[in-house]
Amino acid sequence: MILHSLSVANWRSLLNPVELGPFSDRLNVIHAPNGTGKSSLFEAMRRALFDAHHVSGEEIGAVRPWGRSLAPQVKVEFTQSGVRYRVEKTFLDGASARLFRFEEGKFRPLADSRNADSKLREIIAASDAPGRGLSKHEHWGLSEVLWAPQGALHLDSLSSSVTENLRAALGVQLTGERGSRLEELLEERYQTYFTKGGKPRTGKQAAPILALESAHAAAVVERQQQLEQQQRFEETSRAVEDARQKRGQARIEANALRDTVAQTSKQAETYQQLQSELEQKRLTEQAAKDRFDAIGKSLELIGHTREEITELEAKISNSGTLVTELATELNNTAKAAEDARRKRDESRRQRSSLVQSTAAVEDAQAFVEDNKAHQALAVRIEKLRRFEADLRQSKEKRTALVAPDDKTIQAVRKHLTALEKAQAALRASLIHLTVKPDKKTKIHQRSPNESQTVAAGKAATFSGSPEVTIEIEGFGTIHASGPEGDAEANAEALREAGSKLTKLTQPYGTQDPDRLQLLREQAEELDRNIRQLEEQISEVLDEDSADDLNQRAAELDARIRERLGRFPTWEKQPPTVSDLKSALEKQRKTIEATIETAEDEYDKAQFAARAVEKRHGKADEELKNARLNLEAAQERLKDLTKDGQSDAARASARQEALMAWEAAKTRAKECEAKLNEIPGDPQKDLQKLGRQLKALEEAETQARDEENQAEGRLQTLAAEGVYSKLAACEETLADLKSRIQRERLRMDATKLLYDTVTSCKAAIVAAVAAPVERTATHMLNRIAGPRLGTVRLTENFVPVGVRPEIAPEPVELTNLSGGEQEQLFLIIRLALGQVLAKEERQLVVLDDVLNATDTGRLARVLNLLEECADRLQIVILTCHPERYRGLDEAKFFDLQPLCN
Amino acid sequence: MQFLHSSDWQIGMKAESVGRTAERVREERLEAAKRVVQAARDNGAEMVFLSGDVFEDNAVDRLLVRKVGEILRAFPGPVYIIPGNHDPLVPGSVWEHSVWKDAANITVLSKSEPVELDQCILFPCPLHEKYSTKNPTAWIDAKNVTKPAIGLAHGNVEGIPNGEPDYPIPRDAANRLGLDYLALGHWHSFARYDTGDGVCRMAYAGTHETTKFGERDSGNVVVVEIAHHGTPPKLTPVKTGRLDWRTVERTVDQPQSLEAVIEELGRLDPPDATLVRVIIGGVLFPEDRHALVRIEELLASRFLFGSLDTSALIPAPDGEGWIESLASGSFREAAVKLRSQAAQSANPAERAVATHALLQLFELYERSRA
Repeated sequence: MILHSLSVANWRSLLNPVELGPFSDRLNVIHAPNGTGKSSLFEAMRRALFDAHHVSGEEIGAVRPWGRSLAPQVKVEFTQSGVRYRVEKTFLDGASARLFRFEEGKFRPLADSRNADSKLREIIAASDAPGRGLSKHEHWGLSEVLWAPQGALHLDSLSSSVTENLRAALGVQLTGERGSRLEELLEERYQTYFTKGGKPRTGKQAAPILALESAHAAAVVERQQQLEQQQRFEETSRAVEDARQKRGQARIEANALRDTVAQTSKQAETYQQLQSELEQKRLTEQAAKDRFDAIGKSLELIGHTREEITELEAKISNSGTLVTELATELNNTAKAAEDARRKRDESRRQRSSLVQSTAAVEDAQAFVEDNKAHQALAVRIEKLRRFEADLRQSKEKRTALVAPDDKTIQAVRKHLTALEKAQAALRASLIHLTVKPDKKTKIHQRSPNESQTVAAGKAATFSGSPEVTIEIEGFGTIHASGPEGDAEANAEALREAGSKLTKLTQPYGTQDPDRLQLLREQAEELDRNIRQLEEQISEVLDEDSADDLNQRAAELDARIRERLGRFPTWEKQPPTVSDLKSALEKQRKTIEATIETAEDEYDKAQFAARAVEKRHGKADEELKNARLNLEAAQERLKDLTKDGQSDAARASARQEALMAWEAAKTRAKECEAKLNEIPGDPQKDLQKLGRQLKALEEAETQARDEENQAEGRLQTLAAEGVYSKLAACEETLADLKSRIQRERLRMDATKLLYDTVTSCKAAIVAAVAAPVERTATHMLNRIAGPRLGTVRLTENFVPVGVRPEIAPEPVELTNLSGGEQEQLFLIIRLALGQVLAKEERQLVVLDDVLNATDTGRLARVLNLLEECADRLQIVILTCHPERYRGLDEAKFFDLQPLCN
Repeated sequence: MQFLHSSDWQIGMKAESVGRTAERVREERLEAAKRVVQAARDNGAEMVFLSGDVFEDNAVDRLLVRKVGEILRAFPGPVYIIPGNHDPLVPGSVWEHSVWKDAANITVLSKSEPVELDQCILFPCPLHEKYSTKNPTAWIDAKNVTKPAIGLAHGNVEGIPNGEPDYPIPRDAANRLGLDYLALGHWHSFARYDTGDGVCRMAYAGTHETTKFGERDSGNVVVVEIAHHGTPPKLTPVKTGRLDWRTVERTVDQPQSLEAVIEELGRLDPPDATLVRVIIGGVLFPEDRHALVRIEELLASRFLFGSLDTSALIPAPDGEGWIESLASGSFREAAVKLRSQAAQSANPAERAVATHALLQLFELYERSRA
């Protein structure tokens, strides 16, 4: 389609008729300031071409000039497929449409009203717009790609007809003539089984296979249950069989055991009889033996008792003699013991003489010790008296001496220093006036008021403060003055220092610190003497007092005098204690030896007497016992022989008893031999067999119970007909499996068909989009350089991004800058336009685009537009005509003067 | 004497291969049992011998046991039955059912010991377990009998390929044991074992009603006539089965070959007693697609049971066919691809899926043109 001219009236801001044209069939720029009506022109052209003239509604009402009741009018002249047309449309009031075709040098009417609308759409291959409303971009046909309204340069989607047109223009067919219908049918079939995501459908419209699989799963569970029941049936059958076997076996074993029990029972009876018989014979044998033993024992006792009596009678005789002899011996030893006791007592009495001798020795020893102590004590008392006299003397001297301590001496020294400093300061603060007269001169000082005469050539100094005034005879008065105040203060300090010094030294009579130090040393010497004497006194006393020493001396003296009273010889010759002790010891030894000998003698005599006494008692006792035993033996013998039989008669009876015993023993052995012929104890065997039989009978009963129980279960299971149920279940399962296989095959086939068609389609689309991508990529590289790489399109020719060479993944459009995005959309529209313009030039309308493109890239875009103009008619609407001045061959239309 | 020999009724058997027709198949086996009794009557049999496996399993529905008992009770003569390996004489078996005591003419032979009857001596070999390697006839000694000696046994005659020996019976058992006739059960097809002189003294009667596809000569009973001990028995098979288990297997290599299959199916009669399994392999031509659909419809609607197996069928190379009539584009390319996959894939399952996918495309294509 090529646009030739455009006339608009009563359209939004375009109140007056505006006519633009003829347009260049290459490049056109319509420019005007904002609000002039550029976009209204574009809108009017679209309405004329695509909208029905009779449309109504707010949207078309809005194009009427504001505040006026004017009907919008538009007239478009164009060429399509080599034929030139003109369409004239009036909207709203008096709406009309007329279509003209250029024939034989002029436009002739082709259709009007609704026919004109539909005819026009047919010519430009636009689809029908909705009834009352205005057309949308999806109704524009190819212009959906070629015309970019203001602010809508981007391409989000393309209508299917445009896509098909593009594909057709590219010479590729995806689905063929009836492909759409086939595609719909395939899609419909596919969605019977699968979701768009390729998963089996679920829910109300679930794929049939799901219900079959669900039923199959349930049938599997049921089959398993029936199979278990069938197995239970067979196991129970076996259990019944086993129980029957078990019961039969138990019965056989019990019967066999019952025979054994009967035989054993008979044997046990015989055994019991023999046992009883043997017991009886044993008793008889024992009785015979007892009789034999009793007779033998009686004979033996009689013999023993007779022997015992004889022995006892001999013993009594011997014991009587011994008792008499021992009585005599006892008297002799008692007398000897008494003599020994008397001698011992006499020797013990000699010990009293030792006591007096010992007391004399002790007195002598005490006398010597007391004398020695008395002498030592006298020495200590004398020393004490001397030291106490010296101490009293030293303390008196010390009391008389007044001496300062170290602290006082230091204070005196400190105050003397302060005094000297005060004196020096006072001297320094006075005014000194020295006069050295040539001749003897009397000089009077007024303050203090004194006078002196100064010899010739001698110097006389006068001091004072704050002034010194002297009067010199014959000369006059000399008055010297100086600074006030210092001398007085120094004098005061001097006085104060002197006062303190006086106060400190007043008790010692001197202010000389050296003398004070000497006093201090003298006092310390005295103090040392006093302490030494006190220590000596303390050492002499040694924790005693002087009174203690005196008292002790008096006591010693008294004891010495008392012993001298008893031993007067000691006055001249003091005793020798050691000699006295030796004599005493010798005496003691002699006496003790005598006593010891006497005691030994006594002990021996005493022991001998006791031994004899003991032997006598014992012999007497034995004699008594022998007599008693004799009586008892005689009594026993009497009892043993009371039967009155002779010893021979008794021996004969014993022989008879022995024979009876032997006979009973033989009979018992015969019975025992018979008993031994029976092995073991049949009674015990019988008991064991009884228990075994009982256990077998119980086992049989138990087996019967188990059999009954198992039979009960078996009958229940048999009545259920579990195999028939299992068979029905497995048939259902097989049927479901078969149906699932068929359904699976159907689904798999559908999926395979769908996937195969889809993959073929994808391959074709990839091949279709490739040339457009290549063209667009080439254009983009010319504008933006190679940085952005290749352009990526969907199968419907919508851009999705770019793939830079350095990036591993494609970059989405949103990640490009605003300028790059509009450049990309522009070149894709141009690339698609070139595809569509293969057979016929096409109109491209760009309304206020490339606003975000920089000047450098804009220049390259303009070059591109010029190249594209070889195939495309390009109309640019802009408020910046200067940006497009670089288009050398472009035809510019200034809208503003036309509107005015 | 004359008697009827039958076996392997397999009452209560499952028929997994026929889906929802299984119940009907089971019912038919009871009906066939009635026909056995009728055949005995019609052929003057004095007694009926059933050589095992009357029931499919000992745990079949007890109602079936009752029904079988009642059917046999209707026979005017005595009926002798031995338990087989499917219904061995074990606790809880079908033979404990009260119907056998109720029916005075029926005797379940439970012991391997001779039973002397007026006309003959029976040597029954009842089975007491499902599997055994013992020859069930080993105990028989009929050499010194004067009446016709009839053995009833259930097992595998040696020489029949059956893997592990299972109740093996020597091929010359009847002669060796001195039997006039050994009535065998276990195999479902009628089979006789002639001696060298052409005399047959042992035979499988086979099942009275076919149990599945592929059984060779089933659905019969045998009427046996023995003049007296030692004379060769005369065997007469009598048809008692009604169901026709038919397998139609074709390999297609020419266009319009499936029409013959349709015609063959049309000839099967009576359809309500016919179970058909159609297996078609080879090459499917475009013009035969409609025939394939018709076969499917026929199988689903005409017969007692029908199944179609086309897993071995692949699309024919389709030079000028419908694929070329598709407009160039994704569908045509997909069709070519599927056709190649259906013909050349190494995996049979993948070939089948590709074939069906192509069939679906064809169907959709037809609809799009409608």
